[in-house]
Amino acid sequence: MNVAKLAPHFIARELRERYRGSFTGFGWALLQPLLQLAIYSFVFVQVFKARLPGADAPGYVPFLVVGLWPWAAFSDAIARATSSIQDNAGLIGKVALPRAVLVLAPCAASFLLHMAGFVAIVVALALAGKGILLAWLPVALLLYVPLFVLAFGFALALAALQVFVRDLAQVIGQALMLMMFLSPVFYTRANLPADWQGALDLNPFTFYAESFRSLLLGYGDFDLHRLLVACAIALVALAAGHWLFRRLDPHFEDFL
Amino acid sequence: MSRLLVRTHGLGKSYPRSHRSADRLRALGRLLGGRADPDAHVVLHDVTLDVHRGESVGIIGANGAGKSTLLKLITGVLTPTRGTVEVHGDVGALLELGAGFHLEYSGRDNIAMAAALRGLSARELEARLPDIIAFADIGDYIDEPVKHYSSGMVVRLGFAVVASLAPDLLITDEVLAVGDESFQRKCVRWMERYLAGGGTLLLVSHSMYHIQKLCRRALWLRDGTVAGYGDVHEITQAYLAWHERNSATAGEAATARAGLEFSLGTIELNGEGGEAPASIACGGRLHVRAPIVSRDGRVPIAMVGLVRADGTPVYGVSTEMDGVTLRADADGRYVADVAFEGLPVLPGSYTVRLHVLDPEGVRLFDTQERGLVVRGESREFGLVRLDHRWAATQERGHG
Repeated sequence: MNVAKLAPHFIARELRERYRGSFTGFGWALLQPLLQLAIYSFVFVQVFKARLPGADAPGYVPFLVVGLWPWAAFSDAIARATSSIQDNAGLIGKVALPRAVLVLAPCAASFLLHMAGFVAIVVALALAGKGILLAWLPVALLLYVPLFVLAFGFALALAALQVFVRDLAQVIGQALMLMMFLSPVFYTRANLPADWQGALDLNPFTFYAESFRSLLLGYGDFDLHRLLVACAIALVALAAGHWLFRRLDPHFEDFL
Repeated sequence: MSRLLVRTHGLGKSYPRSHRSADRLRALGRLLGGRADPDAHVVLHDVTLDVHRGESVGIIGANGAGKSTLLKLITGVLTPTRGTVEVHGDVGALLELGAGFHLEYSGRDNIAMAAALRGLSARELEARLPDIIAFADIGDYIDEPVKHYSSGMVVRLGFAVVASLAPDLLITDEVLAVGDESFQRKCVRWMERYLAGGGTLLLVSHSMYHIQKLCRRALWLRDGTVAGYGDVHEITQAYLAWHERNSATAGEAATARAGLEFSLGTIELNGEGGEAPASIACGGRLHVRAPIVSRDGRVPIAMVGLVRADGTPVYGVSTEMDGVTLRADADGRYVADVAFEGLPVLPGSYTVRLHVLDPEGVRLFDTQERGLVVRGESREFGLVRLDHRWAATQERGHG
């Protein structure tokens, strides 16, 4: 009984569970980020009159879409996976199973839903003539792979720690909000004072926000060197998360 | 395929004391630092046990003796604090209630999940689904969320899933206690078939009837340690006797305050002392003997009784009924000494009880008991072998 064999069952269960009881079913997966997008567009475009620097700058809405959807996948995966071990206490106490699959399921489900939403809205924007480089979409989707690895690494560590530190689930929501505002999701690097621009690279999500835009909007350059660094960071996060999870896994049942 | 199915060696489990959140934080630091927990609560200590294929072991013990913990360790749900567990085969476990069902999902969905967890492919599941649903026999509830189920239905469904998988090792924890009569019978019949087919069973139950019916061997856990492991009748006898003594001690405290005028020493059966059950052949001689201390030197009345393991009285008689007066030795000690020649009880497990009463035969002062196993093979019914003769036959039959 291994993770790979069980994962499809748990991911399917997670997907069903997430939208069970809601009227729109899976539609909600698309609706929720759309609503979010509407709110942010209103605030930034209508109220703050946000303008992107540069002569070839895209419109603000495509700019936001391309950065916000990957972020939604990343943060939703982490937020949901953090409590996954605690939520499955009943199962853990009754059935012997590889517990990492309980963390994998919400992560994978979040990415699948948000990637589907991403494809839909990017195609919609391209059809609406918003300057999307649609040919690059398959390449852009590959960026989700290291992003998922990064999120899963964080999720493993957080889910294991959550068993011992119950406040974590509350804290993580705020921490993710902070991380979002400290990455160029709503602004560009050029909007920051020159001294702070380099600090942006400390945030692992910065690379993804900038690279998605470079690929799909032609806004900024795509740097292969930074891609390698991002992949390395993702693998280190996974290794660290996996180490912590393995270390604490035998003791979950004692503290649930 | 190895004969040995489960082997535990020096198995121990301690639970951390984690009432407050600060305890959890400290525990986290300890676990990451690899240090041991100094004030963990030990629930299981040094359990060494071998279970071979085809064996059926009943696990008995008072509440909190560590039975469920042992099963969880063998299942792999818990990680041992000390010692090792090896299991050479696949395990189907029904631990307490629920079997890990998701309350929001229907019975059908939960069957699918449980099957996946046990490594069944979608096709294998489809083939077995009708059997599982038929065995659970919960009607239209199969499509209702499990949260609407009664506890009996949850167990029905859980047992049906485990039963359909026919694992090498079946572990059940108080499953029979929840189901109704008909389901109990169904489970017992299924387990008997499973055992006859070479299955291996670990059964936790408080019902000695079920333990004796289904298990050949028994493991008695007392305060997390093994108090006995062996033949089911001997172990259950010893366990029941221990229970009796425990409740007797609770009662004795009150008697002792009132001043125990008469007290019994331990019972010797056929010259054997100790606490283990004695064993005689069917139709053999039983000699019961125990010293009685009389504080005031008054002559007590002794009463001897024989009850079957399930509590059914077989026979009881006192010195007063037989018109016998006990005689004191030089130290002022009396001895209850009675022999049954050719004890006619049928093979099985019994308890011998001795009581001591005041000379008036009004107040009961002390009780002692010992287990007794009557050996032999017999297909007769009832408690005792009654002397009889069939008129229709030529030969003069006896029994």
